[in-house]
Amino acid sequence: MSAVSGDPGGSRTSVASQFFSGVDDSAIDMTTSEKVVDLLNQAALTSGESKLTMLKQVQELIINKDPSLLDNFLDEIIAFQTDKSMEVRKLVIGFIEEACKRDNELLLKLIANLNMLLKDESVNVVKKVILTMTQLYKVALQWVVRLKVINELQEACWEMVTSMKDEIIMMLDSDNDGIRTHAIKFVESLIITLSPRTPDSEVPKRQENDISLERIPKDHPNVHYNSLAEEGKKALEQLLKFMVHPAISSINLTAALGSLAIIARQRPMFMSEVIQAYETLHANLPPTLAKSQVSSVRKNLKLHLLSVLKHPSSFEFHGQITTLLLDLGTQQQEIARNMPNIKDVRKRQREEAEPGLKKIKMEPALAEDEDDKDIEQASVPSPKPSSTQGTQSAIDITAEFLLPLLNAENVANLVLISMVYLPDTMPASFQATYTPVESAGTDAQIKHLARLMATQMTSANIGPGVEQLKLNKDLPKEEPDAKPESVLIKRRLSALPIGQAISVVGATYSGQGRGEEDKQPLAKRRPEPIMPSAQIKSTGVSGRKKVFRLADVIQPLSEAQNDKLKDMSIKRILHAEKSIARCGMSHVRVKILSRLVTQFDGNMKGDVVEFILEDIRNRSDLAFALLYQEYNMYLSEYPSGSLDSYDECLIGLLSGLQEKPDQRDGLFTKLVLEAPLITETALEVIRKYCEDETRVYLGMTTLRDLIFKRPSRQFQYLHVLLDLSSHEKDKVRTQALTFIKRMYEKDQLRDYIEKFALNYMQLLVHPNPPSLLFGADKDTEVAAPWTEDTVKQCLYLYLSLLPLNHRLIHELASVYTEAIADIKRTVLRVIEQPIRGMGMNSPELLLLVENCPKGAETLVTRCLHILTDKVPPSPELVKRVRDLYHKRVPDVRFLIPVLNGLEKKEVIQALPKLIKLNPIVVKEVFNRLLGTQHSEGSSTVSPLTPGELLIALHNIDSTKCDMKSIIKATNLCFGEKNVYTSEVLAVVMQHLMEQSPLPMLLMRTVIQSMTMYPRLSGFVMNILSRLIIKQVWKYPKVWEGFIKCCQRTKPQSFTVLLQLPPPQLSSVFDKCPELREPLLAHVRSFTPNQQAHIPNSIMNVLEANTKQEVETVEMKEPEEEPRVSSTRAAVPDIIAARLAQEKELKRQMEEEGRTKKQPISLAAALLDEVLEMQDEMLDRDEDALILDPSQEVNTPNLKDNPVESENSEIHADSEPLFLDKEEPMEEQVEDPPTVPVETQEVAEESTTEDKKEEEL
Amino acid sequence: MPSHPLRVAVVCSSNQNRSMEAHNILSKRGFEVRSFGTGTHVKLPGPAPDKPNVYDFKTTYEQMYNDLVKKDKELYTQNGILHMLDRNKRIKPRPERFQSCKDQFDLVITCEERVYDQVLEDLNSREQETFQPVHVINVDIQDNHEEATLGAFLICELCQCIQHTEDMDNEIDELLQEFEEKSSRPFLHTVCFY
Repeated sequence: MSAVSGDPGGSRTSVASQFFSGVDDSAIDMTTSEKVVDLLNQAALTSGESKLTMLKQVQELIINKDPSLLDNFLDEIIAFQTDKSMEVRKLVIGFIEEACKRDNELLLKLIANLNMLLKDESVNVVKKVILTMTQLYKVALQWVVRLKVINELQEACWEMVTSMKDEIIMMLDSDNDGIRTHAIKFVESLIITLSPRTPDSEVPKRQENDISLERIPKDHPNVHYNSLAEEGKKALEQLLKFMVHPAISSINLTAALGSLAIIARQRPMFMSEVIQAYETLHANLPPTLAKSQVSSVRKNLKLHLLSVLKHPSSFEFHGQITTLLLDLGTQQQEIARNMPNIKDVRKRQREEAEPGLKKIKMEPALAEDEDDKDIEQASVPSPKPSSTQGTQSAIDITAEFLLPLLNAENVANLVLISMVYLPDTMPASFQATYTPVESAGTDAQIKHLARLMATQMTSANIGPGVEQLKLNKDLPKEEPDAKPESVLIKRRLSALPIGQAISVVGATYSGQGRGEEDKQPLAKRRPEPIMPSAQIKSTGVSGRKKVFRLADVIQPLSEAQNDKLKDMSIKRILHAEKSIARCGMSHVRVKILSRLVTQFDGNMKGDVVEFILEDIRNRSDLAFALLYQEYNMYLSEYPSGSLDSYDECLIGLLSGLQEKPDQRDGLFTKLVLEAPLITETALEVIRKYCEDETRVYLGMTTLRDLIFKRPSRQFQYLHVLLDLSSHEKDKVRTQALTFIKRMYEKDQLRDYIEKFALNYMQLLVHPNPPSLLFGADKDTEVAAPWTEDTVKQCLYLYLSLLPLNHRLIHELASVYTEAIADIKRTVLRVIEQPIRGMGMNSPELLLLVENCPKGAETLVTRCLHILTDKVPPSPELVKRVRDLYHKRVPDVRFLIPVLNGLEKKEVIQALPKLIKLNPIVVKEVFNRLLGTQHSEGSSTVSPLTPGELLIALHNIDSTKCDMKSIIKATNLCFGEKNVYTSEVLAVVMQHLMEQSPLPMLLMRTVIQSMTMYPRLSGFVMNILSRLIIKQVWKYPKVWEGFIKCCQRTKPQSFTVLLQLPPPQLSSVFDKCPELREPLLAHVRSFTPNQQAHIPNSIMNVLEANTKQEVETVEMKEPEEEPRVSSTRAAVPDIIAARLAQEKELKRQMEEEGRTKKQPISLAAALLDEVLEMQDEMLDRDEDALILDPSQEVNTPNLKDNPVESENSEIHADSEPLFLDKEEPMEEQVEDPPTVPVETQEVAEESTTEDKKEEEL
Repeated sequence: MPSHPLRVAVVCSSNQNRSMEAHNILSKRGFEVRSFGTGTHVKLPGPAPDKPNVYDFKTTYEQMYNDLVKKDKELYTQNGILHMLDRNKRIKPRPERFQSCKDQFDLVITCEERVYDQVLEDLNSREQETFQPVHVINVDIQDNHEEATLGAFLICELCQCIQHTEDMDNEIDELLQEFEEKSSRPFLHTVCFY
């Protein structure tokens, strides 16, 4: 720091030294010079404190003690200006200052060094230079003014001083608080220097001799009075502008306040500006100030206001100053104490000859301005502000304008309106400055209020005052206004007030300085305003300028606060829906919301989605905006971006929609279709939608639209739909199938669908149903067996496609062959509908029949059955089946469905095999053949008439089919009474009887027919008679039946019996002895004439046997005790007859055996069968006999014998009955024996009776 | 850290208790410190609140001490006045009035708002000469022994921090804010110029 003593002391010393040098010049010169050299040498070698001390000594020696040495050692001292030590450099600066003061000419040499040091890296050095320049500027000005003629060097020197001055003024914008503070003081001094001292100026004693503007001749050749005055004013403007900067530091503000007070006192011409600046500041304390700083500043303001108040020239402003002081909490007495002497004021007033200015009203600010212009233009130094001049400042005009408007009502309204803008917490500045309004409602207070408001309005560039000034300005002068800089500034200014809430309390910006700017075209040379942005930027570098550091001004919010604020702001925007809609700005809101929400994390998304869902119909645009924004975010980070957020949003919307009851608006579909991307999860939601029975149609429509309109992911969507086709819910499945069928018509989708269906069906070849069928989560049930449901699941899709594409049937066949029995059964059950749909003309189906893969026979059969169930088979179909039957699989069952399409011959050929089948199947066959199957029955034309069928049955070669089956078959025929009427039977009998040889079952049929239709007995008699002609006894079976028939039809049959040749008659009696008596009686009852017709031989037989009978009965009686008496004599005969009969049979068989070359064993089997047949016949007879009670008495004999003798046989036979089922069909070899039978059954029953299924 | 030691002045009303306590501590910590009072007279507590002992600034601490011993040794021993004066006289001979001192300081610390106002008034009423800035800081301290000691330590800490700043003018604002927060008392602060 400068340790230099004050001027007076300094000059004293120098005077003394001069005096000294005069006395003992050489001696002192020597010693001083030597001492200086010595000190300089030492200083160059040392450092730190001692170096400083030495240099200080040197400075003392050559400036104060012996200035003549100055020239000699100047360079040596100046060399230290590059010293490492900041203190040394500062010392050099101090030295330069002193040197220049002592010898102004040294400025020429040293100013450049100072200029260099002004750019020193150390702020302390720079500050020192500024301090020095504060002094030297005056010195330099004085020096320049003194020069009458100026040379180039001198001019350059002055120019440098000027440029340094400008540079220091610029330092008001420095980053460093201290530098700014020093710059303020420099500017203060500059303003004093560059403005004229007036009589009312307060002049510090020390500066009495300092130069100021009034000492400069107006016609000075080197220095221009006007431009200097202009510079001074501009400096003041800079200072004022600096002061109203919103982020000014408290130190700077304090310093500036002090400077202004000094300026006001020393240059009362600027009083108005100063007071106005104070007013503005008071109303708009910088918001960056801390609470204690606010009190410091207010204290300062008060202090300086009081000091200004003391100055007589402030008289005109006493009103304002007093108001301000009162606002600052000053006591009335204190104000009074600081008032200038009234007498002084009066005197002054008189001097100024302006008695009219009684009011404490404002000295118009602009009046000064205008005034200055006048001075400038007229080049007349006006020592005092000419307050009489008419123009008022903008604030005054506006205040006057406002004054009458401030009635109670308006003020109340203003208060209410401004309530909205009040901050939540009381700002420190307000808290510190608040003083209760004491004089509320008084004129003075209203005036004050008007003025406060006017200040604010002028700052904001509004109000009549501003308007008028603009007018004024535009009129006469101010080309500067047109300068681009000004325009630039204006533009900035006009932008400012827009966002600014004009509030006395919360105002953060003071537009005052800018207002000034507007009013005064100051921006000629230095158009740079104090730009907050520039300041903020610069803080990063220095980090020291507190006021500009955002971080200092604001507290970082806690996470929770942050979130809360975010939430709240979003909510506000959300709920401002109606009011924004009224302004027609909904789209902006939507945009803002969507952007905001996507940029921040947190639960706001959920909130927004929820909000949308509340009224989705009207908020869909927001929904879409949000969705697209999310997608955009994803894309912007592509490919690393995550879709999670987007997904979440989409899902939120979709599932929200799903919960809505009303779906008619189709928003779901719209959302899905317009969403930029359907994610997996979204697809899942859609799927759920489809699975909801009440939404299934909507869901699937959406899905369908997706499939059609998003080709790139078509198959993904299609897959979902396909999956649904095997859904457990009926409705869902049906709907899905319907949609798929429609899609199946599209070429591009067809393959996929088909493949899917086939793949699914292919699952059936697995031994257990794959987990796929249970949904992925049920892995555990993999080992579960196939159930009907799971099988069906695999087939739904396939079956619905089948009618659309018949070719698929082959796939089914191949799967079928590999599937297990349970599956087969289900398959057979479910294919009915589709197969029926295909129809028997389907070429593919025909092809299947033709190719019938091995193992698929049952399937094919089933198909055939289905096809021919209601409709007669087409010739084409018949042809295929026939081919199949003949060429590949000779299973007669194939033929059943097409029986009616076959030719008669073929049917007859197949008949033996057919009747050997399961009884139910046989029944079916007969139903078909007899046309009894179809209730409508009309279109069916059987190749065989019923009669022909029966005949064919009789004609079946007994080697091809066992008799039992045939009998059963004929029984079936007889069961159909409607078909086999007596007429038909008569025709049949007729036909059979004419055959040769006679069919074995002829007599059975005859007896049965007669039993059914007793009225046929006449016809039967006829038959019997004719049989005699055909020598019926040659056919033992028939013959047996013949006898039986006769027996049953006695006495009608007597006539027939009598026609028999005697041996045969006798044979009859052998077999049926009880006939003899009645017959004899019958003959005897003849008229003699009639009896005559009966040959003797016959009679012999009749009668002979009677005698014989008695003998045999007697003979046999002891042996045959258990026997009933009626059979008494017949035993040997019977035995003989039996033997004979057997012999006969054997012979006959041998005959047949010869002709047919069959092995004897087979003949034996045949015998069995014959016997069996007989037995059956007997059974039948028994039934019939029971029906005829009249013959009851006789029957036991007849019956007992055969029953007893052959019962065992029947039982033995009963086993082979079951063998029926094991008929040699290839299938049965491979498959479990029961399957085909069952399937056959199923085939027949399933169409009508479902109950049967369960039994299976 | 500036290479020269901070020139500090501590000012209270009578240059007896608060300023002297701080003076004591600061000088022990190696500061170039001086202490002052701003009152027109030096006032020490008397037998009753309305009967203070009043001296002018020319009176030495020694004289005051002797005077009080004479008046009521027990009372002034008990209330610690004698002890205080004893300490003071060992630091410097007599109280000094701030307004009378023309020396320049880098930092003036006042102990009471009224004193601060007086210091400002004085500094502002002086004619400006070098434009050398001086920071004036008010730290409110109640005028009793305990508070004076606590306040002295606070002042000392403050001075040490300021001494350690790279660029006092630039950093003092921020520093004071931190101190305010730490000590939870407000500091008035302003800058004046010599």
